[in-house]
Amino acid sequence: MKKNVEGEIGTGDLIVVFLRALLIQASWSFERMQSLGFAYALEPVLKKLYPDRAEYESRLKLHMDYFNTQPYLASFILGATIRLEQDRASGRNAAADVQGLKAALMSPLGALGDSFFWGALKPLSAIVAMALLMTGSLWAPLVFLIIYNSWHLGIRIAVLFRGYASGGNAVELLNWYRFTRVAKRMKVVSLSVLGGFLGVLPFWRPEFKPTLNIPGMLLALAGLAFTLVLIAILQKGSSPVKLMLGLAVFCLVLAYAGVI
Amino acid sequence: MIMPVFDTHMILALVGTAIAGGIIGLDRTAVGQFMISQPIVAGPLTGWMLGDAEAGIVIGAALELIWVLDMPIGSFVPANSTISAVSATAIAALGNNGHAPLPVIGFSLLLTTCMVPITMLADSVVRKLNSRLWYIAASGSGEHTGRLLARAHFFGIASFFLKSFALYLMLIPAGIAAIAVFLHFPEYIHRAMSFFVKLLPLLGAALIVRNLSIKIFDIFLLAGFMTAAILGQVFHAPMLVLILTIIGGLLGARYLEEER
Repeated sequence: MKKNVEGEIGTGDLIVVFLRALLIQASWSFERMQSLGFAYALEPVLKKLYPDRAEYESRLKLHMDYFNTQPYLASFILGATIRLEQDRASGRNAAADVQGLKAALMSPLGALGDSFFWGALKPLSAIVAMALLMTGSLWAPLVFLIIYNSWHLGIRIAVLFRGYASGGNAVELLNWYRFTRVAKRMKVVSLSVLGGFLGVLPFWRPEFKPTLNIPGMLLALAGLAFTLVLIAILQKGSSPVKLMLGLAVFCLVLAYAGVI
Repeated sequence: MIMPVFDTHMILALVGTAIAGGIIGLDRTAVGQFMISQPIVAGPLTGWMLGDAEAGIVIGAALELIWVLDMPIGSFVPANSTISAVSATAIAALGNNGHAPLPVIGFSLLLTTCMVPITMLADSVVRKLNSRLWYIAASGSGEHTGRLLARAHFFGIASFFLKSFALYLMLIPAGIAAIAVFLHFPEYIHRAMSFFVKLLPLLGAALIVRNLSIKIFDIFLLAGFMTAAILGQVFHAPMLVLILTIIGGLLGARYLEEER
């Protein structure tokens, strides 16, 4: 990676973009979603590449167009955009279609990032932390943050540099990280640990351990059976809020009848 | 006495919680998304600040799995689990002047569940208002374009913060007043609320299985359960059992890949 030179993009510039990209959703709106966040992250680089203020303004405003993708993988598109803007500014590729590249990448990376980070990494981190918390470890919140952010921050900074180096080659990105395969593994591990979480129900914190006078193994089976019933109800379509309210009513009925 | 006393100490605690909750809430969308805003972190943090870390841990644990897969995909605005966790903890801690008992925690959770539609509406309103920020950013010219863009973008952070701050100042006092009434409810309602807390992690587990697997009887869930339930009874070492379920999940994922 090059050092910072006038008009050239160096590691320092990319680090500034990475830090600014942490705020990519600061002004998220229904109309243009992350448009201002994308332009804000890119602004220092554009200032450096375009000393002519009219050109700088025009390029900056161009990047204020609609933009939306998964916020972490947006760093890959930012890196690729920087490379194309650099090529354009230096005249190496004056016709670089930066907007076309952004439009082509944002939807697939959005879907990929959503399923990897929100749909696999987040639940896995939460389930492991919950299993620890329920069995007595007070370090669970910290464990959750460490598991999640070691992946999140590692990938977020790496894809920015990869995007810059590759000029937005998404195929290379998929070869490097194999998001789909890793996400599948994470989902299987999540389900296995979740099963374990239910299996150790007799060892849960006292606040959550049902006060039923039955042996440990049966208590765990009762917990599993209740969970399976809830899954069956969810399969028929119900929201978490409705189910929580339904559970509260269920508890009131049991308490009124003297069952609990 | 039914009505709680809103003295100087209580008002200071309320404002402090609203400021801290507003800052924690920025992590949801606007700043970083390091997951500090997740209930498993936000609950204990709020509880620790208000002198009742136990209530925060229980509330964080009860809510984490329920909302972990409520994902912000596209223009969908998910339920604000941060406001639920922070409000429920503050209501339980401040409404009970110290160590909140389990029925009070259960009732606080129920109250914040009822508040979910209000918080979702507020989140949508802020995102609609943020659409105007683009016009501020786009009105800049020449060298000032970047400065106006930054100003508009940071205004977005302020609007996300003020939304949470205002909601906390409305919801927490209302919740504390409701707790004062709840303390005079019949004993069976208190029992029902205790049982409600115990069932919430099972609902969370059901919601995760529903999202991660298409089957009610998922093989990995059941394998993890059997491993943990049997070995847990034999060794009485839940941590070891949970590690085994992680290893089992990884082996299962490898097996699936080879099968395909």
